[in-house]
Amino acid sequence: MWGRTLQFLPKSKDREGLLPWVIGVMLFLCALAVSSAVAIGTGIERWSTDLSSNITVQIVVSDAAERTRQTDAALRLLRATPGVAEASVLASADVMALVSPWLGDLPIDANLPIPDLIDVTLDGVTPINTSALDERLRIAAPAARLDDHQAWLGQILDLGAALQAVLYAVVAMVILSTIAIVTFGCRAGLATHAEPIAIMHLMGAEDSMICRAFDLRYLAHGIKGGIVGILFAMTTLWLISRMASELGEGLVSAFAPSNDFSVWLLVMPLFAALLTMTTARLTVRSALREMM
Amino acid sequence: MITFENVGMRYGMGAEILQDVSFALEKGSFHFLVGPSGAGKTTLLKLLYLAHRPSRGLVNFFGRDLASLGRDDLPRLRRRIGVVFQDFRLFDHLTAFENVALPLRIKGATKKQVQDHVEELLAWVGLEDRLHARPATLSGGEKQRVAIARAVINKPDLLVADEPTGNVDPEMSQRLMHLFVELNKLGTTTIVATHDKDLVTSIGAPVLSLRRGKLSMNGSTEDTAEELG
Repeated sequence: MWGRTLQFLPKSKDREGLLPWVIGVMLFLCALAVSSAVAIGTGIERWSTDLSSNITVQIVVSDAAERTRQTDAALRLLRATPGVAEASVLASADVMALVSPWLGDLPIDANLPIPDLIDVTLDGVTPINTSALDERLRIAAPAARLDDHQAWLGQILDLGAALQAVLYAVVAMVILSTIAIVTFGCRAGLATHAEPIAIMHLMGAEDSMICRAFDLRYLAHGIKGGIVGILFAMTTLWLISRMASELGEGLVSAFAPSNDFSVWLLVMPLFAALLTMTTARLTVRSALREMM
Repeated sequence: MITFENVGMRYGMGAEILQDVSFALEKGSFHFLVGPSGAGKTTLLKLLYLAHRPSRGLVNFFGRDLASLGRDDLPRLRRRIGVVFQDFRLFDHLTAFENVALPLRIKGATKKQVQDHVEELLAWVGLEDRLHARPATLSGGEKQRVAIARAVINKPDLLVADEPTGNVDPEMSQRLMHLFVELNKLGTTTIVATHDKDLVTSIGAPVLSLRRGKLSMNGSTEDTAEELG
């Protein structure tokens, strides 16, 4: 792949020593942005799956007897509907727990017109037409209100997609910035090594031979920076996932990278190295073409 | 072997440094190039070792018209030319051996060829015990001998030396000049730019004289010595 490589470039730690660190920082930012985008996607998918397999029916009637009659009618209808795996009325205690943040700890027998809630679990196999089901429910129980969570789930999905787009834009900007930094660094390197390059040309070296020396140097910078960056990124993600695991399941817990995604993260230093090397090669080749 | 016909050279939009320069270097010939500072010697040498193309005129290298050669043709042509600079231009981070080996490696020589030829050549210039010394630890004369070895390792058809004795003492100047003469006897066309009238008179080779960008052939070594002052 490399052919013959001529080591004519002097070591220049002082001049190019910062480049691996810059690449490391860029890779760190890139890894965090990609991880965040993936975490948002995973979290929303989890919520979406959970909520899509569930619908809620409220029976909103102030008269207790009528509420019980309509709840029974709605339950019968729901249990007879194909695609419904289970339908059950939430216990009064559970309903009171749901409203307690707004109403405080009231006794269960308090004379409040709290609606009955029917939790419906779908089998996930038979598709359900929620509009038709809603109409049939209103005939059997006129006070029934069906909520398939689609209204606010749609908003959450839109927000998630927007956040993901922003994060991927950040990744693109980080990559473009890295290319710009490597290009500037490489041009500075060419200016610094102008005389060795000129002597190599006079001795009959072809551009490809000179390019290879730069290729190897910048590949090494990319690998060094990539490894440093990914180590910091993995450590940060591990810390976040540990903190998130204490909060339980949810969007934040999705920050714990999956095994597949961890492999992709580990491949990122290689990507950084190849990006650095390719940028250097194109910059050097184009500069050499301008020389005699 | 090498001919210049009405060659002119200017940098950018500046004044012409060389004007209507015409000469021919026959195979195996030895020439001195003399002239005061600013006469255009270095520019002429740069044209000879293909660091620049002329602004006008015809230049022919080894039977090939330079104007017809593309950039990709130049490396092969440059491998037939050896260059020695006044300031040596060695790679400071490489040893004497590695400096001399570079042209061979560029040409694609095997490891064994590199080992054999470089050691032999460094022994020829009297540096067999300095193979692994870096330029910073070498004297001016030693550096120039390494530079000469690097210039001739590929057995070039043309050897161009730009003030090769400018940074060494008179005794070393004579030793270096003898190296050039020996190489020339082996068939290498040689041109040496110098200010040193003793060298010119001691070798007695034909002299190309540059004055304000114009070249003249000066057959008489005595005249040249007088000109150099």
